[in-house]
Order: sequence, then C-alpha cells, then structure tokens
Amino acid sequence: MIDLAVQSPVQSPPPLESTPPTRSRRSARRSWLTPRNTPYVLLAPVILLFAAFKGYPILSAAYLSLTTNDGGTQRLVGIANYERIFNDPLFYRALLNTLVILVIQVPIMLALAMLLAVAFHSTLLKFRTVFRLGYFLPVVMGLVAYGVIFSVMLATDNGIVNVTLQSIGLPKVPWLQDPVWAKVSLMIAMTWHYTGINTVIYLAQRQTIPQDLYEAAAMDGAGHVRQFFNVTLPGLRPAILLTVVTSTIGTLQLFDEPYILTNGGPDNATLTIGMYLYENAFTYFDFGYASAIGFVLVGMVVILSVAQFRLFKEEK
Amino acid sequence: MELRTLTRVATGLTVGVVAAAALAGCTGDSGSSSAGGDQTVTVWTAGTSAAELLAPAVAEFEDANPGTTIDVVDVGNPAIWEKITTSLAAGGEGLPDIMQIGIDYLPGYTEKFPGAFADLSTLGADDLAADFAPSAWGGGMGPDGELWGVPFEVNTAGFTYNKSLFDAAGIDMSTITTWDELIEAGVTLKAKTGASLFELDKAATNHPSADIWQTLTQQQGSFYFNADGEITLNSAEGAKSLELLKKANDLGVLADAASFTAGGASQYADGSVATNVDASWWAGYFEDAQPDQAGKWAVALRPAVEEGGATAALAGASYLSIAGNSEHKDAAWEFIAFALGTLEGQEAMQTAHAFTPGFTPVYSSDGFTDGSGFYVGESPSQIFVDSITQPDLAVPTFTSDYARAIKIYADAQTKVLISGADPQEALDEAAQLLADATGREIAG
Repeated sequence: MIDLAVQSPVQSPPPLESTPPTRSRRSARRSWLTPRNTPYVLLAPVILLFAAFKGYPILSAAYLSLTTNDGGTQRLVGIANYERIFNDPLFYRALLNTLVILVIQVPIMLALAMLLAVAFHSTLLKFRTVFRLGYFLPVVMGLVAYGVIFSVMLATDNGIVNVTLQSIGLPKVPWLQDPVWAKVSLMIAMTWHYTGINTVIYLAQRQTIPQDLYEAAAMDGAGHVRQFFNVTLPGLRPAILLTVVTSTIGTLQLFDEPYILTNGGPDNATLTIGMYLYENAFTYFDFGYASAIGFVLVGMVVILSVAQFRLFKEEK
Repeated sequence: MELRTLTRVATGLTVGVVAAAALAGCTGDSGSSSAGGDQTVTVWTAGTSAAELLAPAVAEFEDANPGTTIDVVDVGNPAIWEKITTSLAAGGEGLPDIMQIGIDYLPGYTEKFPGAFADLSTLGADDLAADFAPSAWGGGMGPDGELWGVPFEVNTAGFTYNKSLFDAAGIDMSTITTWDELIEAGVTLKAKTGASLFELDKAATNHPSADIWQTLTQQQGSFYFNADGEITLNSAEGAKSLELLKKANDLGVLADAASFTAGGASQYADGSVATNVDASWWAGYFEDAQPDQAGKWAVALRPAVEEGGATAALAGASYLSIAGNSEHKDAAWEFIAFALGTLEGQEAMQTAHAFTPGFTPVYSSDGFTDGSGFYVGESPSQIFVDSITQPDLAVPTFTSDYARAIKIYADAQTKVLISGADPQEALDEAAQLLADATGREIAG
C-alpha cells in the first residue's frame, strides 16, 4: 500500500493558478479518493449492508438472548436462557436427532456423490450430460415443493412408495408415522435433494486431477480400485473438506424438511435444533430463548468446523 | 438445510426494532382519523370463507357510511399468525386496522405484546355483551376486564355422522349417551360396514392433533390450565379423555388421518370413516365438499363423557380485534359493531352455509336454523344453537402458553397411540415438561 502511494500521481504538487477548471475539479476529487481508501470506499456499500442487516441483527439477537419477555417487556436475565437450554430435555432431543442425521446421512450422501462423480467422469458413460442434469435437477427444486411431493409419495395407504412395496409382496411402511421410519424418510429426502450439488463439486475437482497420475499408477500395476483410493481420493481432498464442512453446517441448521414432512414428529423424533428455535420464537413468542438456542447452535457450528479443518489439515 | 434459519429470526427482529423506532418517531403528526374525511379501514381475515362472510356486511356498511372504505384482505391461515406475530414484534408496524384473531392466539398476543390491540370496552363494546353467548364473549376478554375482540365465528364441539352406515349396522344414535357406549358401538359398526368410527392424526405429523382430546376434556369441565393458570392437563378428566382415545385405538375403530391424502373429505364419502368429531364448522364444509352425500348424514349433540355430563363444548372462536396503533379506531369499531353486533349486519352474512356467530339475537332470525336439507333430521345450525346456549358451557383458560401446551400434549398422545404408553403416565410427564418450560405450577 505504501509503495503504491509513493508511485501514485496523487503526490504531485498542487496545480498553479492558470490550471484549467477541469483539472482543479480533478484535484478536488483526489483529495478524498486516495489509493489508501479506495478499497474501503468500494467496499463501503457491502460493509454498510453487512453492518445493518447482519452485524446489527447479530448483536441485537445476542442482547435478546440475555432477556426474557415478562408481561410484554424484555427483561435482562443474564445467562438464564443458556442455563435453561442445558436443562431442557427437548433441546437434547433435538440435538440428538440432528447428530444422528449428521452421522448417518452426511457420510452416505457424500459417498454416493463421490461414486456418481467418478461415474460421470468416465468416458465409457453414454449420455453423460443427461445423467448429470438428472442428478443435479433436485438441487434447484424448491424446498417446499419437494417436501410436499415426498409427503404425498410416502403416504401410508396410497403413497406410491407403499403401493410399489405392496405390489412386490412387501409390507407397508409407516414412513412418516413411526419415530424410526420418520428419520429414515427425512434422510432419504435430504439425500435425494443434496447429493447432486456435492456430485458437481467432486466432478469439478476430479477434472483437475492430471491424467499422468493415473497412467503412472497403472504403470506401477495399480488396478482401478487401487487408483481410486491412492489417486482419486487424495486428489479430491479439498473438495471433500468443503463438502463435509458445508454439509455439517447445513445439517446442524436443518429446518425446512422436518417442518414440511413431519412437523418434527412423531413425538419429536424429527425435531431439529432449527425447528425447535423456530417454534420457540414464532409459536411460543419466546424470542429470548430462541436467540439463545441460535447462539448455542453457532457455537457448535464453529467448533465442528474448526475440528474438521484441523482433521483434514493434519492428514495432509 | 438453509443457512437462513438463525438469521431469519435475528433479521426479522432487528428490522422490527428499526421499524418500531422509525414508527415511534413519526406517529405524532397523523391526525387523519378526523370525521368526514375519506378513510380506508383495512381488515385481515384468516381464510376465504371469513372474507366472503364479511363481504355483504361490508357492502351495507359502505352504503350507510359514505367516505369510509372497508378493505378486506384475506391473508390466509396460518400465514396471518406469522404476519401478525412479526408485526407485533416490530411494535405494531404493518398491522391492519382490524384483524381476525383466533381465541387460542389472543391471550398470547395480549400478554406478550401489551398495547397490541385496542381495548374495545373504551370504544363502547360493553353495551353488546348481553347479546353474545357468554362463553364466546368471555374468550375475548383479558384478565382485568379489557375486551380485546368481539366474537366473529364461534365453533362448538362437532358430531357429524353417516346415518346410513349407522342404520346399516343397526346402531341407533339416539340410544347412545356416553363416549364409552359410542366406541363400543364403533366395534359393531366396523365389523358390519368396515368403516372406522372416527379419525385422528395419530403421529401428529401434520399439526398438533389435540382438538378431540381438548373438547372431550372440556366436556368434563377441565382443560390444559385452570382459571388460575395452573397446569391441569394431567387431571383425572384429562386422563379419562386420553383413555377414551386409547380405547378407540386399541379396539381398531380409530382411523389414522395421515392415511388419507386425497383431501376433500373423500374418506367420509367412500365409507372409510363414519363420524367426524372435530367442530361445528365441519358440517358446512362437508356439505360443500361432497354434495352427493345428501340424505345420508346427520348431525347431533355429542355423547357425554360421563353419564349425564355436558354434551357440548366451545371448540374455538375467532374474534375481530382492532390494532392498538390503528389511526381509524372509531371507524373500525363502527364497522365491527355493525357487522357483528346488529341483526342487520348479521343477517347480511346469513347466506353462508353453517354461519355460526356469537350474536344470540340472530339465532331466532327467520331461517337461521333451517337446514338446506342435506342433513337428515336437525340442521347443523340448530345443533350449534343447542350447543352454544347450554348454560354450563365454560370459557377455557387458554393462557399465553397454550401453543406450548398443545404441542407437549400432542407428543404425549402420540406416545400413547403409536407406542402404547400409559395415558396417565404420559400426561404426568407432559405436565412436568410444560411446568419446566413455562414456570407454571401443576395444579395439586
């Protein structure tokens, strides 16, 4: 920055009296737009918007999380809301549900995405564009629309899934009525919706792995499986880190799917932290407690993300 | 799986704070409510039927009051609650002059957002009290005698049954006096016709399905809370209601509403379900949805829970309330008083099917209790009048924690119906959970 300033024409001496008016105007402009402040001036709109619509709300929510609504006024209660969270069985239920989905659904989805990416990259595959498009389309589908479609498909008596199961002699499954099956339904819906985007990320990364590496591996006698584990997988590492972190964050904040498919039921089997936060704010008008849940959620996201970055870094 | 869940709350609230501050700074100079000038009174309704119901009264009011326009906006349900909630959190910014509010939302709004609504007593509403069913009027009152809303549509516990199926099974409804008898008759009905007695969303995955338990408990004079706001959902009465549902479920006569996805009440038309026990509005809905069923169905008062007990309950009501920050309070009140509190206004609305108002003088109007002939025997309107005018019909204490209570109760019900839990134990657990979440005492 300093070097730039020295080289810049801004340092030129002030214009003489005979200078034409246009030049003097230009020098007036120089007085406030300097190379030092240019980046900030250009970023100002974003900074202002961020401060108004992100920074201020976050600070406001932080304050709110320390208050409770007492007969219509927000009263400061210190960390009482946070203490309540750690004694709230429904919060633990929501946390456990969220973690179960995280631990089971995310690895399955990412493994599937990886296999699909490898398949889509293969030159042996005909109609590649059609397949890629087919798997990517769910990503652009509206959350509510797909939630509603899944709930129709998974209906116990006349949903297409159960009708199909029965036609091949299998029993009906209470997809949305049983605590265990409701979780399974949620995971199936999420996997259908989000596998495509992860596949695209893996595919892009896969295309950057040089062909030489595969040829060298083949020369060394590595088969396809060996090549996958020793060349493809290490090559995909940056993409894996990205998808693991974003999927983790997304799952921790899971809201739309349970809201539409199961309403968090049956008996809170699919209640997620995001849903519990929403219920407290907009159904029970307990904005202080909801804000506190939000901050605990942020804390968990930060801890898990840092842990994942560390994990992948050390293995390098 | 969006990143916006947290920020949605935070942003909503902050925009609200900013807007409230802006509003506070600029409300001083508005004096547009002066009489004589043109003004528009905006009304939000929670559904097309309510908007259509108001339309004829709006037309008559506008004719009689030149210069005043009543603009009815149908916001829909549940969107209207989210809109009102966010507006209230924003200090009242964006609210209409008049809004339709459910009896279940009123205590929460008025307690958490003081000043949200105008006290209609100060506008002259008390004169109307004697003309309204006491239970419905009481639901609009605050703890200190304020009046937050005038009853618009009132619902009583419903009982609409497929008489042709009951006849085919040899069951005479007039001989059934208690729910226990009804459920046992349901076994015969199921064996002879294949129809389930009634339905319920057992897993409560569409919405907290607490309505039937709630009205059964009200029939016994109990509720989630007592008049002191203490928790009573695990009372003997509450347990009895849940035991009845469990009994119906165990005997196989309780269908799962989640099984039927077609909509339009087709499970009732095709003989899968023989009775609807939701609320009085259902009879009118069914008549519109399945006109081909004419002559097969009948409405009745509910069986009592205990022999000789109450055969009616207040299943719900909606109110018209005026925003506390409305600039047209007087004109808004004049419209409400005309539409809901005069025979002229009420008779204008009477064209709708199963119009169930809280204004008692209209009950004896010409044709009010005449049915359309769809139902065999008494009309839904007659049964409604017989229900709402029962002298011991109580006003349940909803409290600001009602939303939490129905959710926690519905979870207990799911445990009983899906996982076979014991009703009393599940309710005791629910009561404790509710006490922990709200700081309320469990009634001893």
